[in-house]
Amino acid sequence: MSDLAIGGVGFGFLFVLIALRVPIGVGMIAVGMVGFASIAGIVPLLSFLKTETYWRFSSFDFSVIPLFLMMGNFATRAGVTAALFRAASAMIGHFRGGLAMAAIGGCAAFGTISGSSLATAAMMGQVSLPELRRYKYSASFATGALAAGGTLGALIPPSIPLIIYAIMVEGNIVQLFQAAFVPGILAIIGYLIVISIVVRIDPAAGPAASRATLTERWTALRDIWTVALVFLVVMGGIYSGMFTPTEGAGVGATGMFLIAVFHGGMRMQGFIDALLETAQTSAMIFLILLGAGVFNAFLGFSQLPIWTADLLQNSGLPPHVVVVGMIILYLILGCIMDSLAMILITIPIFWPIVSALDFGLQPDDVKLWFGIIVLMVVEIGLITPPVGLNVYVINSLAKDVPMLDTFRGVVPFLMSDVVRLTLVVVFPMMSLALPKLFGG
Amino acid sequence: MADNAEERVRPTGTVGRTLFQIATILAIIGGLLSCAMAVIVTVSVAGRYLFSAPIPGDYDFVGILCGSAIFAFLPYCQLKRGNVLVDFFTIRAPPRIKAVLDALGTIIFLTAAVMFTWRLYYGTLEMRQSAEQIAAFAFYRWWTMPFDIFCMVVLILTIIYTLTHDIADARSGGANSQPGTTP
Repeated sequence: MSDLAIGGVGFGFLFVLIALRVPIGVGMIAVGMVGFASIAGIVPLLSFLKTETYWRFSSFDFSVIPLFLMMGNFATRAGVTAALFRAASAMIGHFRGGLAMAAIGGCAAFGTISGSSLATAAMMGQVSLPELRRYKYSASFATGALAAGGTLGALIPPSIPLIIYAIMVEGNIVQLFQAAFVPGILAIIGYLIVISIVVRIDPAAGPAASRATLTERWTALRDIWTVALVFLVVMGGIYSGMFTPTEGAGVGATGMFLIAVFHGGMRMQGFIDALLETAQTSAMIFLILLGAGVFNAFLGFSQLPIWTADLLQNSGLPPHVVVVGMIILYLILGCIMDSLAMILITIPIFWPIVSALDFGLQPDDVKLWFGIIVLMVVEIGLITPPVGLNVYVINSLAKDVPMLDTFRGVVPFLMSDVVRLTLVVVFPMMSLALPKLFGG
Repeated sequence: MADNAEERVRPTGTVGRTLFQIATILAIIGGLLSCAMAVIVTVSVAGRYLFSAPIPGDYDFVGILCGSAIFAFLPYCQLKRGNVLVDFFTIRAPPRIKAVLDALGTIIFLTAAVMFTWRLYYGTLEMRQSAEQIAAFAFYRWWTMPFDIFCMVVLILTIIYTLTHDIADARSGGANSQPGTTP
């Protein structure tokens, strides 16, 4: 068998293992090791494995991941989510559909300090769902809005999927964060428009809440100074180049720890819980990263990525058709797969293809543009049936609501996602404008 | 979801309880190492801007801490069955089939973990021989590696422990099937 064929067979095996409930990272490690040995031989594999774990885990670049996760876990214990939702609902809750808009606003604000969609959905769901239900919002609409709103956690920088993409394509994390900014704002606007349309069609879906008094508004606004401060320091510092993303995450985690202790009343048990949550999510992500490392070493030997890139480049297919094809593939994969795993499995094949195609853009710009497209499609995967993890998370908070209702509630938001995705694909400037402005 | 999983995962036997305690302590140690990373980074940034005196070698050192933290996280995650898997194709499968498949996945993980640990041992010896230090000060890279190996050994024990559960489930028809683990 040629090396190329081994590469193809390896891919097939990986999907079989994944379909058979083998954890994704473990599947990648297993196929990667066997494939590596059959192409390069056992001895090179054994020598490769000696330090693979060590170097894969001990990287300054990757250390941004546990730090951002820890910052988010401390933020929750600082009472940030509740304060954000209170502030947003005090301002706009009295409009029709206003509480749902407030939940979106809360998700967006939490997204500015959290890089994870699942965490955002879970945290904002916990504080806002009871309120939405109390004001008799339709269950399908309320849960749908929160599941979609949760994706803002990653769509708005910082963003763990984007960090992983950046490391894989050796891109600039800061520029990718900047590129995600305008599409992130569009996502918020899109979701707010969806809510106003839904309540116009069906006013009973989102009744108005009582109007907050001026004092209430003032107090609620004052309570979110913590988020504002951390956002300004962390993201401001990262955007302006004062410090690297890892440094920003470290400073943010320290800041959030102090706020959680002195403002949120975090005690020993809360602290330990935050550490354990960080441990579990980090280990999960790094096991997939380790798997991707071994699997990609194997793919590199098989020459499969270069071969497919050549094939598509010489096929005469218009570059945009190729990208649309990839998007469709992502949407299908997204129905059954986790977003990080999807990025780690596909990018080693997709990125060489995309970087070889001519979109009339600078190579570095293609990296940014494609990264934002990938981020948006994998986030869509979090809210599409049958396996939409965000929908699962929200649904587990509202056990009386049938899963199908939540998926039904997600549909209008999904439409706004598709519109936004189309806009960014057709007008790359939407993602590139900000990095250009900052980068000169 | 997490709470639910915890109830069912929290082990009952002496072996299970001990492993759970060790894994939890390791995870907390890893968490404290992450806190140390955050503090080093913060002090270094503050030092750079306030006194133009950053901590020398902070990048390398944070990387090393991160590595040890991740090694320390692994057993806990496995005990919590926190690794992502796709259950879409098997969602309607009988519990017994699921348990058999889970046992298979766990055996693969066990094999991989043993390979990694065995090789890491030699990697450590090599690193010690080459006496690689981080650039800024006399900190040998191999110093943290015995701890990493220890974590891997605990991971192996944890995987064996979860494997015994998978096999018991497969035997009993998956009656006390473990949480399917998800996100």
